[in-house]
Amino acid sequence: MIELKNKTILVTGASSGIGRATAQLCDSLGANLIITGRNSDELNKTKALLKNKCDSFVADLSNEEEINQLISKLSTIDGFVHCAGMINPLPVKFIKSKHIDELFKINFSSAVLLSSGLLSAKKINENASVVFISSVSSQHPYTGGALYTASKSALEAFARGFALEASTKKIRVNTLAPALVRTKILEQSEEIYSKEEIAEIENRYPLGIGEPIDVANAIAFLLSSSSKWITGTILQMDGGLLLNSK
Amino acid sequence: MISIEEFTKGLEVEFEDVEPGTLTPETNYKNIKGWSSMHALIIIAYVDSTCNIILSGADLKSAQTIRDLYNIVIEKIK
Repeated sequence: MIELKNKTILVTGASSGIGRATAQLCDSLGANLIITGRNSDELNKTKALLKNKCDSFVADLSNEEEINQLISKLSTIDGFVHCAGMINPLPVKFIKSKHIDELFKINFSSAVLLSSGLLSAKKINENASVVFISSVSSQHPYTGGALYTASKSALEAFARGFALEASTKKIRVNTLAPALVRTKILEQSEEIYSKEEIAEIENRYPLGIGEPIDVANAIAFLLSSSSKWITGTILQMDGGLLLNSK
Repeated sequence: MISIEEFTKGLEVEFEDVEPGTLTPETNYKNIKGWSSMHALIIIAYVDSTCNIILSGADLKSAQTIRDLYNIVIEKIK
């Protein structure tokens, strides 16, 4: 049975989508929760959805100083899930260094610096579990997603290296690679892609497009002791999308 | 400030698959041959790179012609 009782868990990107669903689920599974996000109003909304008391910190994790401030406020933790991230569809010919910097800072550097800072401050307990959120698109590209998918591929590679180093302390590190999930990001995409394109995309999912709770369930499993023999993996969650891919 | 003529020409150049000289301010851009999400992404990226304005998907949805798009951009520049 999955439970997180007496585990202190940090959830980043908790102000929306997968992060919010994860916070709610971890809360209901008994975790002592710490949530963080960029948007104060949305973070408060997440807090209001929780049954138990939790600490919340507004922080922009694309900013190294704010990462360090956050770490300094934390107690030791038994795990963290890094949901903070952004998507910025951009055709390759328009990519400039500012786009690379912006996207990699939040999707990649924040994960690295948070991990590094927490380790260095000795704030990750033995037997802790770390979960990163990548994307199935790191292996299966889509139009306008070259930069985004590159940032997620980098994150996956980092997670494996981190898993190797952290294994000496029995700290586990795993990555989830979901396909399309119904979040605000998808709603925004629906304004860019035509109805026909959206319908065509949805038709490719035998089990339908994912819901945030579907990903949160897998995150909770990876955070819990039920997955204590699993580390360094990338769990693809795609509702069957890739069964037909060549 | 970019003129409507420059704006239209610039988009035509970026689309690449549009016959030169066929795009006008009154063109309903969603009706151009082979319209896809790639064109929408090009519009957003072009406006960002030339005008430093971020168009939303909702902006694209509400505009029909190149002139509509241009007017949204000009309004945001103000």
